[in-house]
Parts: sequence; structure tokens; C-alpha cells
Amino acid sequence: MNRIAQGLTLVLLGAAALTSTVATDLYLNWVKQSFGPFLIAAGVVMVVLGVLVIVAELRGEKEAAATGGEAGRAGGVGEEASGAHHGHADGHGHDHSRAPGVAWLLLLPVLAVFVVAPPALGSYTVESTAGSTGPPPEQPRSGRFDDGLDEAAPDEVVAMDVRQFVMRAWVDEERGMAGREIELTGFAVPASEGEGWYLARLQMACCAADAIVNKVRVLGEPAPETDTWWTARGTWVEPEGEISEVSEHEFEILEMEEVTDPPDPYE
Amino acid sequence: MPDRTTPDAAPDPAEPASGTATEPVPASSLGDTLVGGWDDRGEELPPEDWGRDGRQRRTGTVWLFALFITAMAAGHAWLSDQLTSQAFLAWATIFTAISFQAMPFLVFGVALSAALTAFVPTSVYQRLIPARPNRAVPVAGVSGALLPGCECASVPIAGSLMKGGVAPAAALTFLLAAPAINPIVMIATAVAFAGQPEMVLARFVASLLTAVVVGWVWVRFGRADWLRLPSHNHAFGDSRWKVFRESMLHDTMHAGGYLVVGGLAAATLNVMVPREWLLTVAGAPVVSVLVLAVLAILLSICSEADAFVAVSLTDFSPTAKLAFMVIGPMVDLKLIAMQAGVFGWRFVARFAPLCLLVGLLSTFLIGGLVL
Repeated sequence: MNRIAQGLTLVLLGAAALTSTVATDLYLNWVKQSFGPFLIAAGVVMVVLGVLVIVAELRGEKEAAATGGEAGRAGGVGEEASGAHHGHADGHGHDHSRAPGVAWLLLLPVLAVFVVAPPALGSYTVESTAGSTGPPPEQPRSGRFDDGLDEAAPDEVVAMDVRQFVMRAWVDEERGMAGREIELTGFAVPASEGEGWYLARLQMACCAADAIVNKVRVLGEPAPETDTWWTARGTWVEPEGEISEVSEHEFEILEMEEVTDPPDPYE
Repeated sequence: MPDRTTPDAAPDPAEPASGTATEPVPASSLGDTLVGGWDDRGEELPPEDWGRDGRQRRTGTVWLFALFITAMAAGHAWLSDQLTSQAFLAWATIFTAISFQAMPFLVFGVALSAALTAFVPTSVYQRLIPARPNRAVPVAGVSGALLPGCECASVPIAGSLMKGGVAPAAALTFLLAAPAINPIVMIATAVAFAGQPEMVLARFVASLLTAVVVGWVWVRFGRADWLRLPSHNHAFGDSRWKVFRESMLHDTMHAGGYLVVGGLAAATLNVMVPREWLLTVAGAPVVSVLVLAVLAILLSICSEADAFVAVSLTDFSPTAKLAFMVIGPMVDLKLIAMQAGVFGWRFVARFAPLCLLVGLLSTFLIGGLVL
């Protein structure tokens, strides 16, 4: 990979980072919102570095043409030089003006952004991780929930994340949700067995590779089209027996409304 | 015994560092020593037609990229809507997520490492880090706590430390410790394991122990020729800014290219390995620890996020979760690929198994004592 190619790759990669953050909200499909400023900074740095390398190379070409070539600059010196260099130096030194072939792979994220534009993870991920539902990742002590249920007036509808609902359903021994009207937003996933369907949302710590599935089984409405987004108002179906031994939490829907995709698909 | 890991070409401490700001980095850098032999290949080397050949090559490159961008525009217009396979899209999402999540850390690490190469004279390292590798290793391990970043940042930085004359074993200890015990990772672990401070303590101690033991093992048994030391053959007249730019370009291309390789592998496994079968082994005491260690290697999750994933693997024992968090930042697919890019495969083939072994032993030890 010669230096012009390296510079152009950097510019394209930086452009991909900037396009997905500044021009669109695509990055929210992949990483946390808080990564936005860092991605913009990284994109700017890569574009600037790429342009500097290209400019230096073109200017170097002029110098080289004027002086009849200069060994140290080694701009487009070609494979002969780097090959010989490798042979001689026994892998210790390498002609550093040329990058290894693996650097071409840096164009793959560029392709991914501009051609594929990968969507947020959805029902496919929820279905393929079906068996792994465990208790919620965080286990606050009772009375320290962050869902605002305790602060709300008794007859108020409380909007909470699916994560907060699942956590409450799993660990709140006082069963604070019983009889309360709750509003959840998530996407529809068909249930392979049993009654109803799932309203699901993925929780992300850093990026989509570490996404964790949160889902509730929904009763009282026919299953909508897979991967459509809904805001559902309803009540928690109180389980019998120990709440910590329930494997799936149920939600009885009173009313639901289709929503266009929320800007940040993860919680 | 003498430190076999210190390269013969280590700079002479007696040689004075550059005195004035305009002077280039002293010729004592390892890169210069290694490539020094090139000067005598001399005058006849660049044939006269190389300049023109290079220009043609460059024009060809520009055309190639023009074609690539046109193809992307066409793909954007026609292909994007055709890609509907759920599995492919999930794979593409995870691949892009890993690449873009690592990108800011990579750029940050590469910039810091380039700054170390260009602006910090080697004499500074010699003052800060003990000369004897045995003593330098723990110092490097503890100073890993100072770098707020993840493993993508620490690979190029370790490379530039070695170039600065730090004993390879100490630089490797830093490489292992920095992504595992820095403040951001510790806070993330404390948040994920709310109410379990012993897990944060166990992670810190087990990771630091692993890093230091690996460093000492490398002091004792490591050989300099296993490492392809990163070299930058900047010419004598180069300004510091040029050294900085060249070093950044070099590291981005090497570490970045392999980061993509690791991202591809991790995304593939992330989509293809069903997590259900994990549950079947969760109860077995030793096997479950090994399984989570392997999972950490395959998934290649950033060290700042792995605690959140570990805590979600609720069927596993605390020691198994500890293994996930100790091994992940030290050995994973993405990291193996990046280390190979910076230090060479001969190095990785020895270093990765060593880290895995020491990491597992220290996990069992600390897990048994603390958890």
C-alpha cells in the first residue's frame, strides 16, 4: 500500500466517521451516544492526517523530480526496495513508507457505513439469544430503583425503560408495580411458543457487541409486525410465588400505539 | 544475569539527548540503529526511472480510489435496499460497532504514542523507569493505572515505549496492565457490580498480578529476536512534527488494519456462537471458568464494557466472571491481531498463550482468596 493509498484510506475512514455522526445519526445504531464527540474528533484527526500525508507526498514528488530522487523519502519507491529491505533486515526493520496489505481492510468499515449502513440490532438478536434471559444485570437494593415509580402519584402513568421494568419485576420484593399503569417502549418480537409476543429493547454498555436483551411477554393484543416499534400502556401481571424465580415477566396491555423508531434504539 | 530481552542496539545512556528544540530526535533511537546499515547501500540505489515509476503508481492509486468511491456510490444507490438478510445485518452491525467503538481509542493511543516517539527524548524514560528490568516491571505495571483507555490504545503505546529504550518486558507489563486496571475500567466495574466491591478489588489485583508475573517471566525467558521491534526510519533532517505524522500514519495503518481483522472475527463469533450452550456448562466449577475465558477471547469486548457483559452472565460463578474480566483485556482476537501487526507473529505465538496461562492461574488464586 503506497502513501497516496494510505492517505486516501485515512480520509475515507475519517469521512465515514464524520458522516455517521455529524451528517446522520447512524452511529447510534452501533455505539453509545456519549461516543459521538469522540468519534467526531477521531474522524477529524484522520481526515487531517490523511490530507497531510497526501500533500507531503505530492510535494515530495516535486522535490524528488527536481533532485532526481532521494532515497530517504522512498515515496513511491516500489516493491523492490521494501522486498530487499525485509530480506536484509530479517523482519526487524520494515520500509515504513509502505503499509502492509492488511491495511486495505480499513476500507471495510467505510464500505459498511456507506453501502450497508447497518441498522440497530433487533428481533434477530433477541430470538437468537432466546435461552439466555437471566436476572437483570444490575441488582439495586429495594427502594433504590431509578424508574421514578416511587416518586409518581399513585394514579399516574409511569413511563419506564424495559430494563427498569424487568429489574423491578425481578427484585422488588415489595411489588411496587402491582396495580400501577406503566408505559413501555420497544420493538415487537414474535414468541416461538406460548401465548402473546415480546416487547423487547436492547441494553448497551458501550457498543452493539455487548448488547444485552431485555424483554417482556405481552398479553392482551395480537402480535404486530416484527421489529415495529410500539409504546404500550398496561399493567404488570403479578406472578404467583417468589418473584426471583420467575423466568419471564408478563405485561397486560391496555392500549398501544405505533411509534416511529426512537432516535436512540438502545437503552 | 544480563537482561536478554534488552536489544543490543539499546541507546547508549551516555549519549546526550538533543539539547535544543529545533534539533532532530537524537540518532540513538533504535529505529535509526537498525536501519543504519542502509546508508552504505548508497548512491547507485535509486535508479533514475524510479521517480517516474512512482508517479505512475500514484496516478494509478488515485484512479483506483476514484473507482472505489464510484462503486460505493452505486452500491449505496442500488445495493443498500437489497441487503435484507437478518443474520448478515446483525453481523454488519456488530462489526461496525466494534470498529467504531475502537476508533477513538485507536486514534488517541496512536497520537499519544507518536507524541512519545517524537517529543519525549529517550533520556526521560531512563530517568523514570528503573534500568534493571526486574525492578522496571512492577513500576510499569502500576503506571498502567494512569492511562485511561482500552486495549486498542495500549498496543501502539507499548511499541513506542520499547523504542524509547524501556525494557521490552516492562513495556509488555504496561501493555497488559493499562487496559485492565485504569480508573475508567475500575469505575465501570464498580458500576456494573454495584454492591460487590470485592469484585473490583479481585479484578485489580488479579490483573496487576498477571501483568507483573508475565513481565518477570519475559525478563527471565524472553528473547529479543522474538519481537519485531517497531522502527521508524526517519531521516536525520526530519522535524519533530514530521516524525509525529509519520509515526501516527505508520501505527494507524498497522494497528488499524489488524483491528479490522479482529473485529471481523469477533463479529462472526458473536453472531454465530449461540449463548444457550454456555448455560449448560455454567455449573461446572473449573470448566465454567475456562469457558468464560474462551468467551472473553472470542468476543473481544472492549475492556471498558466487559464488566457489564460479565455481570449479565448470571449463571456463572464469581471466579468465572473474574476470568472473563482478567483474560479479556489481555488476550482476545482483536488484540492478538493488533499485536501481530505491531510486534510480529513470532511474538504473539508465545506471548498470548503465556498471558492466558498466567491470567488463569492468577484468576484461580485471587478468586479463591477474595471471592
